[in-house]
Amino acid sequence: MLASRVMTLEKTDFYPDLFSAGDKIYFDHNATAPLCRKIVSSAPELLEAFGNPSSIHQFGRRPKKIIRDARNQFAKFIDCHPLELIFTSGGSESNSLVLKSEFLRAKKAGIKNPHFVVSKIEHPASIKSIEQLKELGLKVSWIEVDRNGQVDFSQYQSLFQEPVHLVSCMLANNETGCILPIKEMCQFAKSQGAKFHTDAVQALGKMEFSLKELDVDYASFAGHKFYAMKGVGALFSKQGNVIENLISGGGQERSRRGGTENTLGIASMGIVAEFFPQQKSYIEYVRTLRDSLEEKLVSRISNLEILGRETNRVCNTSSVFIQGVDGESLLMNLDLAGIAVSTGAACSSGNPEPSPVLIAMGLSHAEAQSSMRVSLGWGSTMAEVDRFIEELEKVVIRLRAIKENGGEL
Amino acid sequence: MSKGRVLLAMSGGVDSSAAAAVLKEQGYDVVGVTMQVWDYNKSCDLTMEGNGSCCSSIDVEDARSVADTLDIPFYVMNCEAKFKASVIDPFIQNYLDGKTPLPCVDCNTFLKFDHLLKKMNELGCDYLATGHYARIDKDRYGNSVVVTSADTFKDQTYFLFTLPPEILPKLLFPVGGMEKPKVREYAERAGLSVARKKDSVGICFVGKGKYAEFMEEHGNFDPKTKQGVFKQYPDGKILGKHRGIHHYTYGQRRGLGLSHHEPLFVIKTDVSDNTVWVGPEKYLFSQRLEMNNTHWHTQLEEGEIVDVKIRYAHSGAKARVYKNENGTAKIEFLESQRAITPGQAAVVYRDNSLVGGGWIL
Repeated sequence: MLASRVMTLEKTDFYPDLFSAGDKIYFDHNATAPLCRKIVSSAPELLEAFGNPSSIHQFGRRPKKIIRDARNQFAKFIDCHPLELIFTSGGSESNSLVLKSEFLRAKKAGIKNPHFVVSKIEHPASIKSIEQLKELGLKVSWIEVDRNGQVDFSQYQSLFQEPVHLVSCMLANNETGCILPIKEMCQFAKSQGAKFHTDAVQALGKMEFSLKELDVDYASFAGHKFYAMKGVGALFSKQGNVIENLISGGGQERSRRGGTENTLGIASMGIVAEFFPQQKSYIEYVRTLRDSLEEKLVSRISNLEILGRETNRVCNTSSVFIQGVDGESLLMNLDLAGIAVSTGAACSSGNPEPSPVLIAMGLSHAEAQSSMRVSLGWGSTMAEVDRFIEELEKVVIRLRAIKENGGEL
Repeated sequence: MSKGRVLLAMSGGVDSSAAAAVLKEQGYDVVGVTMQVWDYNKSCDLTMEGNGSCCSSIDVEDARSVADTLDIPFYVMNCEAKFKASVIDPFIQNYLDGKTPLPCVDCNTFLKFDHLLKKMNELGCDYLATGHYARIDKDRYGNSVVVTSADTFKDQTYFLFTLPPEILPKLLFPVGGMEKPKVREYAERAGLSVARKKDSVGICFVGKGKYAEFMEEHGNFDPKTKQGVFKQYPDGKILGKHRGIHHYTYGQRRGLGLSHHEPLFVIKTDVSDNTVWVGPEKYLFSQRLEMNNTHWHTQLEEGEIVDVKIRYAHSGAKARVYKNENGTAKIEFLESQRAITPGQAAVVYRDNSLVGGGWIL
């Protein structure tokens, strides 16, 4: 049963063979995913619709329709009303937009020091927005997350002793894949009169969820983590919310986000949503691969820990702590062997500091530096998993031998 | 057929960039790496080039672009913590102790030829290469020795005296056999964007001449506690107040702010009471020095006359070296030398080859 599923899904025309790059293995889908093939084949036609979607004349009609279609498709996919979607340039903009907008709303309502409750493992787009807003009077309380990526609910509740304006917590964590109990957290926040934002960038395509069911006020999405294009994303803003825009402009996105629309990018999000009807089977397929990868990791390599393994996680991510192995050297070795994984978030790879997420989860500096993230995708195969394990085992044995020998081979 | 895999330290400058092209042409598999040693976002204007710095973000991008041009793998390694502990902190402490530090040697000792040597092993590389102007040769007994570069003006062997001799067979200095103009020409021919980039000068993490400001920003001391007076050497006449001893180094003439009938130089600094002694140039001359933490690559014969450099820009002077058991040594020059500066290195050569060296006390 399992084998046949693996067989049938191995070469779908959904996933690009334009990416099955010879002998290279891409296991870094949480950094970005390859482009859905259908986008590539549709692009020429979409690009011909060069008109400005806001134009009244006929040149505006086709791009306007392209955007409308994509809005409907994507809204259906995440289960919201199409007009509740604001297309942005990506996840970072969506997160920045909601946090700054809500801060401004609170200020305008006369609250001197608006109070946000934010998890410690948010993406830098959120954390840095918060840092900026703190200078303008924002008060922040931090939600703690444990070594399994889980929230201590009573600690969370204790943050509401003062009135809370907004809670921001991600749906799935980029580094561990841990799923946070957003529905319950949101329910509690609402009972306390707070609004709720979830960064769902890493959840898209890796778990099933419905915005209606989660009942959040805001949710952020990025196209490129979902096999759509880079430079496009969305913010779900529930009907009734008022947005203070970050980018002022000509009234696009119902005046919530100015700037002539990125027609092709927006279309790409619709295409993936539309072309991905069997979400469940893809998710199950990737989960099978990931679970098998983890079993092999644990059985073949000693002193190895998979973070959050016993908890609810998205289907594709493994955060692996390998004792006595420097993550930086591990990553470079694998890269030289044609295998892409990551340590920490890709955005910070120019500056390979230990992952703040892992530190927030209570790992020591040294432990975080001995960690790597493996993230599979819809195009990953069992053969790749096996080759990865083989290569990894070789590298780990060598690095540990060198370490025992004081740096020498 | 590959001649082996080489880990190359790339700074984004012309020399290490040309080294990458040379190695590639010679048939090595090159892996480029830049050590991010200092967060320049904090201290530098990112849009300025040639801040006299070797590893600012722009330089990292230059190194990356060279690696792309040559199509070699390239990585940035974060070495900030190690750099701070082994280079910056001792640099500041040396200054506060009244010495004139030489951080490039510490960077070589603890980063380039220690940390990167480990990385060389970890990445399964056969060699470690840098863009230093130096050569490795065999002496008459077949041992590897460091020899001065073809470009005698650029020669950087002065900074390499702490290299453990046993690692020499693992090292490659691809531009050591070339003169600087040839290196630029080579880079130009290889199509490298950095071919005409300005040479870095001074100490990479400080920026032009702003030593005192740097220490006040990064050192753990109160600048006010470093203030004191100028005294005339040797009679002790007080000539005025100064801004703090970390502003002054041995032999310094500029920036003293004293008017006197003859040029005044810093003759010594006394950290116990923050006195800066100044006097005429003649007091800067001496015929001997003592040094500690010595490193030796080859043996010296009793009473042998060798060449000794007492600073990077020094052309070397004839001297005899007397080693002690405890890693210290005494050097006596045949003629007296100007400004033998504590904190700098005395590096010993026989003809062109590096014999060893130590830290001037």
